[in-house]
Amino acid sequence: MPRDGLVAVVKRDCPTCRLVEPVLRQLPGLVVYSQDDPAFPADVADVRDDTGLEVSLALDIQTVPTLLRFTGGEVAERTEGWLRPAWEELAGVAVLGPELPEHRPGCGSRTGDPEFADELLVRTQGDRLGSRRIEISALEDELEALFDRGWSDGLPVVPPTPARVLRMLAGTSRAAHEVVGVVPPNLVEVTVEKVAVNAVLAGCRPEYLPVVLAAVQAACTEEFNAHGLLATTWSAGPAIVVNGPVVRAIGMNSGGNALGQGNRANLTIGRALQLVIRNVGGGRPGEVDRAALGNPGKLGFCFAEDEQGSPWEPLSVSRGIEPGASAVTVFAAEGPRGLADQISRTPESLARSLAAGLRGVAHPKLPMAFDATLVVSPEHARVFAAAGWSRSRLERALGEALLLDAAELERGAGGIEEGIRARAAGGPVPKFRPGGLLIVHAGGGAGMFSAVIGGWVGGPGGSQPVTREVAPWT
Amino acid sequence: MHDFAALEAQGVIAAFVASTEFVLASDVQARALGYREVPSVFVPHPIQDRTDAEMRALAEQACARIIQAVTGVPATQLTRLDS
Amino acid sequence: MDLTGGPRGRTVLDPTDERAAAHRVPRPRPVSLDGLRVGLLDISKPRGDVFLDRLAELLAERGVRVRRYAKPTFTKPAPVDLRREIVAECDVVIEALAD
Repeated sequence: MPRDGLVAVVKRDCPTCRLVEPVLRQLPGLVVYSQDDPAFPADVADVRDDTGLEVSLALDIQTVPTLLRFTGGEVAERTEGWLRPAWEELAGVAVLGPELPEHRPGCGSRTGDPEFADELLVRTQGDRLGSRRIEISALEDELEALFDRGWSDGLPVVPPTPARVLRMLAGTSRAAHEVVGVVPPNLVEVTVEKVAVNAVLAGCRPEYLPVVLAAVQAACTEEFNAHGLLATTWSAGPAIVVNGPVVRAIGMNSGGNALGQGNRANLTIGRALQLVIRNVGGGRPGEVDRAALGNPGKLGFCFAEDEQGSPWEPLSVSRGIEPGASAVTVFAAEGPRGLADQISRTPESLARSLAAGLRGVAHPKLPMAFDATLVVSPEHARVFAAAGWSRSRLERALGEALLLDAAELERGAGGIEEGIRARAAGGPVPKFRPGGLLIVHAGGGAGMFSAVIGGWVGGPGGSQPVTREVAPWT
Repeated sequence: MHDFAALEAQGVIAAFVASTEFVLASDVQARALGYREVPSVFVPHPIQDRTDAEMRALAEQACARIIQAVTGVPATQLTRLDS
Repeated sequence: MDLTGGPRGRTVLDPTDERAAAHRVPRPRPVSLDGLRVGLLDISKPRGDVFLDRLAELLAERGVRVRRYAKPTFTKPAPVDLRREIVAECDVVIEALAD
């Protein structure tokens, strides 16, 4: 780069650059950087090859041709496109290109080409990335290679190229090297970057990353006990309910088929959490994960609460988060079990009906065994709304209906050997521990069905639901 | 080497036997497929013009190493098996 | 550093805790061949069959019975049908003799 003098950046594939070729020949001491063909322009003494676009990037070239004047090693002035007065003034030449039109707009610089975008991103930001690079050889199929390396949960994963991971990291304002949590079972520190790599694998969009980060943070707490949940022979895995403005912002589904397939945010956010546990934490089926049966939700289980139609405050607010803030609640979950009640019109009846469904969690004769989550659909919620029942009112009614007769639960009762030991003092036994039942509102508007999602052992030693705020996406 | 990769990917434990001429090529191919090394046993070149008796002798000399390539058994234990 | 993977291969970032090797590794070997189904795959270069015949005898002396397979030609990877057969019938396979 000259300390003092004129520099032009051009590309052959630009009609304006070709138009000004005779002018370029007129400019004294001109250095030309060509973005696509160092043989263009012809008959100019100092033409340099910038097909690698390094100089164009350094000079932040947006348009070609760009004419620059350097003074004392700095860019003193620049002009884009062809404008005769501007060129004459910048070059200090009285008359330039008299036969040319007065002005002609330039073309986009090659640095703006979509094909170049990835390379540009990696060149400019690649040194933020600390993860080990893995080469996939030319002989390997790109997707098979990821299966072969054990990074998949059984479905294809998206190759986490540096460009994709950098784009994913743009979804958060947190620094890539920040530690999010310590992932069981191997108790490995996971950084924002590693979460981003697994979010790419899962198929997330960058705007989902803050939700994934909050979920990982919540799942890595002692209270949630992801290790215990992973290592148990029981079927449950982690599930995520999302609250707050982020739900709409990223297009999550809280309505029809909310617990099912079809919504990218729902499915990939849940999947990303599981992939972090698998790939970073080392938790895999057949190894630390000893589930006898498992459940389909272990691929990923995440949905949004329908706050708009809910008769109650958001789950997150009931758990201490500020109204209006976005948050995730992570809880232990097996597959949902539907409960059809198409007759109950009173809240009392419906509450008892839902309680009947909840009674079967773990086993109908086992109280205080597992936690559970009840997903109340809009058609059922309507019954409670009409009666003015708050969430805690419903919780109380469920609790009452779930005070079980100890005699029915005893081993041998009903001809079933499973059950509780006979007690000296009788008295009713609650099905769930205090705080062991979460109530969420979600689902489509048609269908008088709610869902019971059985959990796992609650309280210390087991797993407790954990709620964490989602850092806003800047 | 493609066979090795394909069979292993489908759950079969594999190893291959080649002449010493193949040492470099198999290393290159293994790396091209993403491996750093592959369980293999090399027998002295040439092969094509050997008599039957010589081929049988090569098999006898290679047998212990072949077993080692498909099991975790170290060579020292194998020499006892061989005798 | 070329992080774009270049024309020859592709670069991806490691999603794991990075304790394991960055390259593909062969499957863990069993401690012995006892009870395992062993196959011998002849790549069909000349003289390989004599080698494998003797190997089969030696393995039989050690109590390892083998199944025999042969590629139609050594010039290409094993056909899909043959691979399928091997995968279905064998736990271990020894391929010989490339030269």
